Amino acid sequence: MPTGRSLYLALLPAILLLTLLTFGLAKLIAVSFDTGHGIGLASYVGFFARPDYVRMLWRTLLVALATTVICVLIGYPTAWFISRCQAHRSLFLLLVILPWLVSVVVRTYGWIVLLGNKGLINNLLVLMGATQRPIPLMFNLVGVIIGLVHISLPFMILAILAAFRHLDGALAEAAMSLGARPWQSFRRVILPLTMPGVMSGCSLVFLSTTGVIVTPLLLGGLRDGMMGTQIYQEMFIVFSYPKAATMAVLLALCGVLVIVPLQWLERRMSRHSRAAQA
Amino acid sequence: MRLRLPLWQPVVAAVFVFLPAPIVIVIAASFSHTGYLDLPPWPLSLRWYIALLSDTEWLGAIGTSLALAFVAASASVLTALCAAQVLARRRFTGSHFIGLLLMLPLVFPHAALAVVMVGLLMSFGAGGTFAGLLLVHAILTLPYAYRPLIGSVMSLDTDMEEAAMSLGARPFYVLRRVSLPLIRPGLITGFLFAFIVSFDEVTVTMFLTGPDITTLPVKIFHAIQETSDPVVGAVSSLIVLVTILAVMLVQRVVRLEQFAGHGGSDTAVPARRSHA
Repeated sequence: MPTGRSLYLALLPAILLLTLLTFGLAKLIAVSFDTGHGIGLASYVGFFARPDYVRMLWRTLLVALATTVICVLIGYPTAWFISRCQAHRSLFLLLVILPWLVSVVVRTYGWIVLLGNKGLINNLLVLMGATQRPIPLMFNLVGVIIGLVHISLPFMILAILAAFRHLDGALAEAAMSLGARPWQSFRRVILPLTMPGVMSGCSLVFLSTTGVIVTPLLLGGLRDGMMGTQIYQEMFIVFSYPKAATMAVLLALCGVLVIVPLQWLERRMSRHSRAAQA
Repeated sequence: MRLRLPLWQPVVAAVFVFLPAPIVIVIAASFSHTGYLDLPPWPLSLRWYIALLSDTEWLGAIGTSLALAFVAASASVLTALCAAQVLARRRFTGSHFIGLLLMLPLVFPHAALAVVMVGLLMSFGAGGTFAGLLLVHAILTLPYAYRPLIGSVMSLDTDMEEAAMSLGARPFYVLRRVSLPLIRPGLITGFLFAFIVSFDEVTVTMFLTGPDITTLPVKIFHAIQETSDPVVGAVSSLIVLVTILAVMLVQRVVRLEQFAGHGGSDTAVPARRSHA
């Protein structure tokens, strides 16, 4: 190994890339505060003066929240199942990892084939006589949330699975042998100990969901715009970089406002759980 | 302990139908005569694959994506490897900050990151060029390369390096014959992760492609949005195939579980897990 001061030279490529990234970030923030003749909040005032933009911001946060909640509710039992699975564990893990690694556009295309008015699900429903007219599963928020849950679920499952891997199974057994009922042992032992995984899964899913573009563009309707789709439109249809920059800063800010308390909670909890396990 | 959540069995079963569903459907539809999934899906045909193979635009996009993913993943892994060597061994003012910045592309909303990258490339006039895409993809894949590498380097037994050096081995000989073989799983995991992420990326990339250059996922996106080119099914199936091959490669070299654990998914803050 190179030793001494020359070791620090190895940091140069990373510092170069990170400097460029930071430069881009700084430029973004600078543009969003540029009023044309000085520094000001004009573009932010302009954003919040438009009720349709504000609605869109709320819709983005609500869709991200709904996706996160659904992912926790169905991801937690799945992660638990995989962690306890003895026989075909790697097969089930593969069923989580493989879809996770396939490009978002490919998966979205699959959902279009499945959910469209002439898609497989509606064709089957009509064929079985369950419905006369196709049920709208796409070009609305239902389609968007289905697509987003599909993208985020593997992140959530893997995050919770990591927490289960650190969990000592004997603890729950001990609680039960001391007279705790299964539900009690779950609520008082297993859930708190796996909570750090849930929290980090939630942060990651929420953050990535606020910034999606492809899914709402392809599976959502015209009135289901999110911050990401609006940024796309500002750039490609209106050609307004400053407006897009303002929205990008707001998007990042929302992420920070939600994530910082979550991270703080996670840190507290993992400290607690480590203390409990020690 | 038995799982006693209400309704958990149907939920887990539904998840394992839900996750592969769109991918299975894409592959099935690609073999249908119309390019969509009709009922019944006969007659089967390979016409969209044949159409794909004679379309130079699609083939060009495939070539660009493969080349971009390969070069970007290599650059990203080299950068992350060098950084991990330093950050795992030394603590200095700002070392924690650099570690956090390396993970930033993972947690920064991609729509916002796209605007950042547009601004960055505009400053250099590099929008719509291969070099520009390469720079952006190298930055985007950094967390995926760094995470497994910092884990490997941290768990590296430094006694081995010291033993080699005390026996008179030169630093670079130690690096080549001792350190690198020991962190091989991290290197391979990092590279494959970075490769797949770059090969799949669409949200940021679609802001940066131009008339001269486009990547496969971006081209698929536009094809879905504009017309419904039935070749999309065949091309998508090829992407699935590339992904399956990469995952099989991973399973041969490192355990799948290890791969999953390093997916940048278990905690948003790096390095903590690696200390454990």
